[in-house]
Amino acid sequence: MSEGQDIHALPPPEFERRVRSFEHWFDAVEGYLGGLHNGHAPIEEEPLDDAERARLVRVLASYCVGESAALEGASGLVRLAPNTPFRIFLATQVADEARHLEVLLARISELGFAHPEAEVERCAAPGIVRFKQRLLELIDAGEWESALFAQNVMLESMEYVTFGAHARTADPVTRDVLERVLRDERRHLGFGENEIGRLLASRPAAADRLRVVKRELDALVLDTFEDAAREIGLSASEGPELGRAYLQAVARLGIE
Amino acid sequence: MTDFLKAYSIQYWLESCPQGYLEDTVHGHGPDDHEPDALLEDPTLREQAIRTTVQLVAGERCALAASSGLINSAPDEASKRFLATQTLDEARHVEVFTQRLYDLGVKPRELEDVIAAYANPHLIQFAELLLEKVDAKDFVAGVVGQNVILEGMAFSVFEMMETVNREANPKFARTLAGTIADERRHVGFGENRIGSLVREHPEKKNEIETMQEEMSYHMLATFADQFRSPEMRAERKAAQQVGNWNQGKAPEWQGVDLRAADPKEIEQALADTILVAFKERLGRIGLDYRTPRQP
Repeated sequence: MSEGQDIHALPPPEFERRVRSFEHWFDAVEGYLGGLHNGHAPIEEEPLDDAERARLVRVLASYCVGESAALEGASGLVRLAPNTPFRIFLATQVADEARHLEVLLARISELGFAHPEAEVERCAAPGIVRFKQRLLELIDAGEWESALFAQNVMLESMEYVTFGAHARTADPVTRDVLERVLRDERRHLGFGENEIGRLLASRPAAADRLRVVKRELDALVLDTFEDAAREIGLSASEGPELGRAYLQAVARLGIE
Repeated sequence: MTDFLKAYSIQYWLESCPQGYLEDTVHGHGPDDHEPDALLEDPTLREQAIRTTVQLVAGERCALAASSGLINSAPDEASKRFLATQTLDEARHVEVFTQRLYDLGVKPRELEDVIAAYANPHLIQFAELLLEKVDAKDFVAGVVGQNVILEGMAFSVFEMMETVNREANPKFARTLAGTIADERRHVGFGENRIGSLVREHPEKKNEIETMQEEMSYHMLATFADQFRSPEMRAERKAAQQVGNWNQGKAPEWQGVDLRAADPKEIEQALADTILVAFKERLGRIGLDYRTPRQP
């Protein structure tokens, strides 16, 4: 795109082609991923006591399962996608999710754990582990619409809400990692909302199947929020806010 | 194992590609590069360029489907992350070669019809053989098919095409040079990772070697269709009549003058180069090369 051209001023087909392209991804990440090590800027570590460190590792372990679900989910969606621009967008999402997994595992290492994958296995919350299994089952069953909804609306909303809340209370290094991850999640969520919104506008009956998926997975999402709220030290009144923010985000599509 | 995979991390990808050989490119070439006028103005040359580029798009679509499909069956997180970088590379290749079709005058609404009309049936069968393994979540066979056979073929085809286009079409040559740099990384992963997995699963050898034999046959049949076609002869005749075809240094690849040689000679050099590389690389990972039947 020529310099200074507003991408939002493009006609809809051209806009869609551009935002789903590798070139667009490349321009987007170039700004906030340059000069980083392990996904964060060179920031001095804030001292954490053993209990704080253990709590942080537990919540990061759950985030790693969420990102691993997103990585395997997005890669599975590439095969199910109905056209090439979707496949290209999802391929950029695959790389984003792999980066998130890499930097979160690296953060666990930085906190003094030599085998971060073993910590993920040991500490991850059961709700997110089960969510990952169900997402991959939807993909294996070839359910493009349900899997896209579970991945790019439900999972991405869950991560967006949780990471946003955590970034407000986290130590400076973890905050920097999470804030950079959040910028990617915004793109993924936008794609999911856009495509599911378009689907529901053209075929309202599809909402029935998505409601079934949502009802089943909501319980797992809300369990995961409860675990995360406890580990990131939210107050009794702030904790339920995560669930409410998530439900509002999903309700925007009209799937109650 | 994990240590060598650090060189294939997302961080490494970000450091090597966006700030390395992809810096300042648009769709894989310089922002001011264009297809040569002679190519765009001559219907024979343009049609043959479209036909050739369609094969590249078909191959890269297969590579995108295979690399993303293999992530779910990868046995460790580091391999999944490497395959994620490969997925992104393959998506970029699909995009840059699709863009070349647009640059050659194909309209976006015609794209799928043009691909369906020109994609070689043997190349489609080659892709189906690989994607069967990927769909069955057979990681070992899938990586051999993808990172040794498909990438090995692509590497040599791109290298030959980059040589022939270096002076005749610098825009296309630069796009190819970027994809060659990617393929070099992919080929390395296939050899490193798969050797240990083949040793762990000796019972899979026969099935993988059969796949190699079949994929190799379809590759040779694709080359035969391309190089022995009347369209290829017409293209070379048309090229000799325009522009700077006979100017500058002769493009030489594997000892063959690509400008002067008969298409059959080029086909033979390409097939021999790829099959010799297959044999060496399969041997390094503990597999026996099987000679394919000739088309």
